[in-house]
Amino acid sequence: MLLYERKNKTEQNMKVRLRNEHYLIINIFFAGVILLVFAYSGFFSPVKDNYPVTCIHEKITGEKCVSCGLSHSFSLIVRGRVDEAYEWNPYGMRIFLFFAAQLIIRVVFSVFYLRYPDTRKQLILVDCIGSGVIFLISFWPFLVNIFSGG
Amino acid sequence: MEEVKNNTGQSLGIAALITAIITFVLAVIPCVGLIAIIPGIIAIVLATVGLSQASRNSSPRGVLIAGLIIAIIATMISFSQIFVAGKIAQKADKWPNNIQNIINDVQDNVTKEIEDANVSIKIESNGDKVEINTNASKKDQEKKLEDLERGSTQKQDSIQKHDNIQKHVIVRKKK
Repeated sequence: MLLYERKNKTEQNMKVRLRNEHYLIINIFFAGVILLVFAYSGFFSPVKDNYPVTCIHEKITGEKCVSCGLSHSFSLIVRGRVDEAYEWNPYGMRIFLFFAAQLIIRVVFSVFYLRYPDTRKQLILVDCIGSGVIFLISFWPFLVNIFSGG
Repeated sequence: MEEVKNNTGQSLGIAALITAIITFVLAVIPCVGLIAIIPGIIAIVLATVGLSQASRNSSPRGVLIAGLIIAIIATMISFSQIFVAGKIAQKADKWPNNIQNIINDVQDNVTKEIEDANVSIKIESNGDKVEINTNASKKDQEKKLEDLERGSTQKQDSIQKHDNIQKHVIVRKKK
């Protein structure tokens, strides 16, 4: 009985601690979102071409945009057909790598966050700057497309 | 004494920050950039409500402000996709003329092909086969028409001659 109460208390403490650790919640959520992106790429087949997302730009203007074929590209990368992925979208690989890197960063930084509580502020700062730089490198062609007006 | 933290609006702040970052990533991708307006507005609302709650209870506002700023930037980028689409559409103004030219070219090609076409008609019924081959080229058709016109006049002549012979035979019989 005493053991059970103790176990319950530690579980509650953990929950309260997790609730207060915003960084961990955000990391877990983003890791989940990235895993969903990978699951989406794996679930929908490039052969069947059954992707639910269609390009709005193409619908409006009739012309293909920079990000057209990204879903195809992701699906092909997940299946190991990198050459074909490049044909569908030349920027697919770098964006896929961005998501893969983010997944690793979320896991590694969460572990560091829990293990070294003294360096938390620095860790978050490094995460923000590093993720920002990786984002800029990966999405640069899309950003150029937006700010150059298509 | 342990300091008690007032966490009012913090959960809203986290929700706003997560939604804002997802909106930011979506907004940058042109294919789905316009859709990102919706989560962008949701993130702004969440952050604003959280900020008002936090300011009432004087709780920390760092996450909320970060969420609000990212959400506003993401929504602006998402809106800018409309202008990008507009510019592409402006370029596309020349399309109707091009489409008209293409249609005219296709029409010309089709009429040329029809003029020089060889038509073959096959009819099959109960084991009987009939095959008609004709050359539908314009010059051939004109020649055929001329031939037919000549042929019809010759036929009429022959009928007239035939009538004369018949009349002659009848007259002889009477005699």
